[in-house]
Amino acid sequence: MPVEGPSIGFDFSNYARNQFLGERMNGLPRATSTGTTIVGLKFGGGDTGEEEGICLGADTRATGGPIVADKNCEKIHYLAPHMRCCGAGTAADTEFVTNLISSNLELHAYSQGRPARVVTAMTMLKQYLFRYQGQVGAYLVLGGVDSTGAHLFTIHAHGSTDKLPYVTMGSGSMAAMAVFESSFKQHMTRKDAIDLVARAIRSGIFNDLGSGSNVDVSVITKNGTEMMRNYETPNERGIKSRNYKFRRGTTAWTKESIRSLIVSEEVKMTTGAGKTQDGVLDVPVPIGKGPGGEEGMDVDA
Amino acid sequence: MEYNGGSVVAMIGKDCVAIASDLRLGQQSVGVAMNFEKVFPVNDKLYYGLPGLATDVYTLREQLRFRVNMYRMKEEREITPKTFTHLLSSTLYEKRFGPYFLEPVVAGLTTPTELEPKPKPFISTMDTIGCITTPKDFAVAGTAQDKLYGMAEGLWEPDLEPEDLFETISQTLLNAVDRDALSGWGAIVHVITHDKVITRQLRSRMD
Amino acid sequence: MECSFGLTGKDFVLLAADTSAGRSIIQMKDDENKIKALGPHIAMAYGGEAGDTNNFADFVDRNLRLYQIRNHTPLLPAAASAWIRRSLAESLRSRHPYSVNLMLAGFDITDSTSHLYWIDYLGTKAIVPYAAHGLGQYLALSTMDKWWTEGVDKREGIEILKKCVDEVGKRSTLKFKFNCILIDASGIHHINLDSSDPIAEMEQAGKAAEVINPNPPLDVGITA
Repeated sequence: MPVEGPSIGFDFSNYARNQFLGERMNGLPRATSTGTTIVGLKFGGGDTGEEEGICLGADTRATGGPIVADKNCEKIHYLAPHMRCCGAGTAADTEFVTNLISSNLELHAYSQGRPARVVTAMTMLKQYLFRYQGQVGAYLVLGGVDSTGAHLFTIHAHGSTDKLPYVTMGSGSMAAMAVFESSFKQHMTRKDAIDLVARAIRSGIFNDLGSGSNVDVSVITKNGTEMMRNYETPNERGIKSRNYKFRRGTTAWTKESIRSLIVSEEVKMTTGAGKTQDGVLDVPVPIGKGPGGEEGMDVDA
Repeated sequence: MEYNGGSVVAMIGKDCVAIASDLRLGQQSVGVAMNFEKVFPVNDKLYYGLPGLATDVYTLREQLRFRVNMYRMKEEREITPKTFTHLLSSTLYEKRFGPYFLEPVVAGLTTPTELEPKPKPFISTMDTIGCITTPKDFAVAGTAQDKLYGMAEGLWEPDLEPEDLFETISQTLLNAVDRDALSGWGAIVHVITHDKVITRQLRSRMD
Repeated sequence: MECSFGLTGKDFVLLAADTSAGRSIIQMKDDENKIKALGPHIAMAYGGEAGDTNNFADFVDRNLRLYQIRNHTPLLPAAASAWIRRSLAESLRSRHPYSVNLMLAGFDITDSTSHLYWIDYLGTKAIVPYAAHGLGQYLALSTMDKWWTEGVDKREGIEILKKCVDEVGKRSTLKFKFNCILIDASGIHHINLDSSDPIAEMEQAGKAAEVINPNPPLDVGITA
């Protein structure tokens, strides 16, 4: 097996080994997953005069089993200037899938000479995910505005998609959907939309164990995208009133090695500026002994 | 993960970072070696730890050494902690459907550049398939992960000087590892500052 | 059921492996040699799945020999350990992995240091002063913990090894016979553990106790 090949795609070389190891040991290690609440809704439009747009929201908790792996992670991923994508499911998959499609959208935009449409992003994502038959565990809410208007999609890991005016996903989807079902209205104002999204995420944060910490909101309209990172922080940590700073020398150690990163240089003058120096014997080279012999060196033959 | 045991922790201080690991290598409940370091240098100011299955520790370390050397030769500069984290992440995700059983922790300082004259200390951690988390305080991984979270959450505070950071990270590791049967048997701590790297072998319980 | 030990000292390294061969509770052979000389100053004790063991040992042996022929110098213990570990780690990812545990012992004549590597079938490598595989892990590791000290000499080393062998004899229901070698600057020597003074016997036997490396170095270039 070559160390490095020009191969692309996934490398299954450890698969058989891991099946075997999984049988021998107690299970395989779990990957970080985003037990998540992610939502999105369409606002404005109609005859309200309010600009049509998409509002996306996400909580910021990442879990690894029962452990909170990250208390303030980012789940609203960048796809293109006018497109964002919320990710739930296996954290690494959502991260890499959105990165990959983001790159491909950029290339697509260059080759076509116009910004990619939201349906294009949706199609690229669903085709990629379908190819992996749900093994790439990314559950996404995709929103964006293009030349044909504002669009909102959900994409499941198996490759199915929906196009709806308001959507929720992740383990907190029921909690968030309850809020949407009771309060969603067509053609909301931008402010109402943000408030409703934040309320839906909060409902996930406080009612779903897999979701927590802060509310991230992103608003996409024709005029641009606004990313409101930590729009609400309803779970701020209190300030420690006392500390556990240890007295220096508390920890006993047996061996120490200090690697200095300062490069020290010492310059020793030998002969310089035509001056002879102490301890340096100046021996002149007789003419004819130097390079080129009797003739001397020919510089420009 | 639980086959060989072992834990790693990294912390941010004031213009410095620290990364520490235990030294045990086991085969299930039998202790085999007490000199198995899990933290390795990438360059002067960048270290990473690989707790998990020992065979993968070696394999991934060899592969990373190759890739970092290729980077160094192509780019004619040292890799930064952030770039290294992404290199490591893609190396892990390449094996998405047959992962290495490792949870890496990266800790390093960036050399000041014109664009970034006052670089911040950097730590990051990943799951087995390369999902990056970049905490602002500390990162933990290994069989004593749960306990390390508890200790670090209680002991860590911002802006610790190198010597204070050494005490905090050492006490975090030693006390967490004492509650873990699969980690321990000695510990090693590296404190990275702008002008030196202090490496100390800790005296610890050997049971 | 198998059992092997390794132990380093100031200027030597010891390796011992049991000599039984069989399947589950049946022993079919009691004089199977499970230690292989891989070069003038390097040897390994191996165990595991019946067919895999000999096949893998031969594979390692031939490759190290090839290195020696190509480079006119044998692979040093540290490099050999890295190569063997990698072979196992790569084999583990193949369709049919080798199931071989081994202990690699060597004496580095370039800097006169003894080396012992504990390697298992997963490709786990530990650089250790003393180690055991199989039953020995559970029974005699503690014996070595107690008696081994930094820089033990040859006689003390043999004494510790004998204690381990006795411990296995005492605590195990299985009866083992042991095959033992010692590697030092002058090469690999056979050790008779039953003797009252194995070192004296080894020194007296001289050439006769030498474990013959099946392929003595060629008389070209640097010979080790």
